[in-house]
Amino acid sequence: MPAAVTLEKATAPGVRIAPLRFTVEDGPFTRADLVFTGVSHSDLSYEVRVFLNNPQADAGTPRDPVGQGYAGRFVVFGHGGCYGDVGHCDIPAPSSDPTDLRLRHPLTPATKIVTITDALRRVLAEQPEGLQSVTLVAVSMAPRRKDRGPTDTLATFDQLELQTYLSATEANAVAGALPVGPA
Amino acid sequence: MGVRKNAGLLTAAEATTLRQAFGRVLGLDDERGYQYQAGIHGLPLPTSCQHHHPLFLPWHRAYVYLFERALQDQVASVALPWWDWTSAAAHREGMPAPYTVRTADGTPNPLLDAPITVLTAAQRRQLAANGLITSGTRPRTFRDPEVPDELPRAATINSILQAPTFDDFTTRLENVHDAVHVWVGGSMSAVPVAAYDPIFWAHHCMIDRLWYLWQLRHPGAGPPAALLRQALAPFPMTVADTLDIGRLGYSYAVQVVS
Repeated sequence: MPAAVTLEKATAPGVRIAPLRFTVEDGPFTRADLVFTGVSHSDLSYEVRVFLNNPQADAGTPRDPVGQGYAGRFVVFGHGGCYGDVGHCDIPAPSSDPTDLRLRHPLTPATKIVTITDALRRVLAEQPEGLQSVTLVAVSMAPRRKDRGPTDTLATFDQLELQTYLSATEANAVAGALPVGPA
Repeated sequence: MGVRKNAGLLTAAEATTLRQAFGRVLGLDDERGYQYQAGIHGLPLPTSCQHHHPLFLPWHRAYVYLFERALQDQVASVALPWWDWTSAAAHREGMPAPYTVRTADGTPNPLLDAPITVLTAAQRRQLAANGLITSGTRPRTFRDPEVPDELPRAATINSILQAPTFDDFTTRLENVHDAVHVWVGGSMSAVPVAAYDPIFWAHHCMIDRLWYLWQLRHPGAGPPAALLRQALAPFPMTVADTLDIGRLGYSYAVQVVS
């Protein structure tokens, strides 16, 4: 069952903390994804690094899965600003007109997925309280490396969910069910 | 049938042919030329590329295919190569040598960077202020790459190639695609001018090749049926037209490691 959360602002630049929780009682899974929806890509490029159960993580934290809870990242290839006239980059609401065959606006917010299966399994195996928080560290990917660093403005999105999946094979094993076959 | 090869394994003659083709297209100022072709992706407006959508892979397959045809109109034997950013060589050296040497055959290397001549003065100033092109009235693309070992790893790609559905595959592959764009840095790091950098085409050949490899592993799987008749503007192609690279007249060389 996906859980949407409200992010809390941390003290370090570029850092947001999502109080996402998941324990072994929430059930087995074959795959676990963090799904970000409504992701902005209108400005300069950026990346968002994901750390599990590490509320102290910031832009200087090593991307170490074992010691730091690093679980992965998503990267946004941005448009780098608006190059049209006033209103050119305003995103219209989705049309419900069946005769409107135009493609959606190029800046329509995106969906990004970070698969955290191994990282979540590690947390559940090593930490009895399970997953307590997800720390998101946004770093600008400016054209020149010297200009890169944590950003509080580039990385915006509408919603974050933790989605877990169970393959049919594992679901059968969990339920103790026999595979369905011909009678 | 054109055969696309690994850019890191091109022979000297193949690299020369590639440079000749780019050089000739760079010299054309009409719709056969580099400025028109590169500009389709972003600037000048409208921005035609498709990202963060199931059209991402079909649109870019059509784009690279038609650019390759434009190159072949100038040098018939040329084929675009792919940049295997997962390879040991890439993780050691970054971009393949044909795209990084300053001069080749005694002249400036047209695969190193490119001019951008079709911007308005206001766009030129804004892009330069954002650090995306060189400044001045005759801007060029530039790069500022990260350390090579930050490029995507083969294990990541092998995992993505196992994605069971097209939607899952394209979403995950596009994240890697985005990461390589920002890894190169400079002009490649933003949609409006990325396609002016010659490495763009080698990067997108790699993306296209990975889609082809996924198609081989998942016969019959592909974009949603509702999209198959979708036009890929401004190209004279639909999504369905992009699904079989054999029908487009090209293939990918089998990877040979000597």
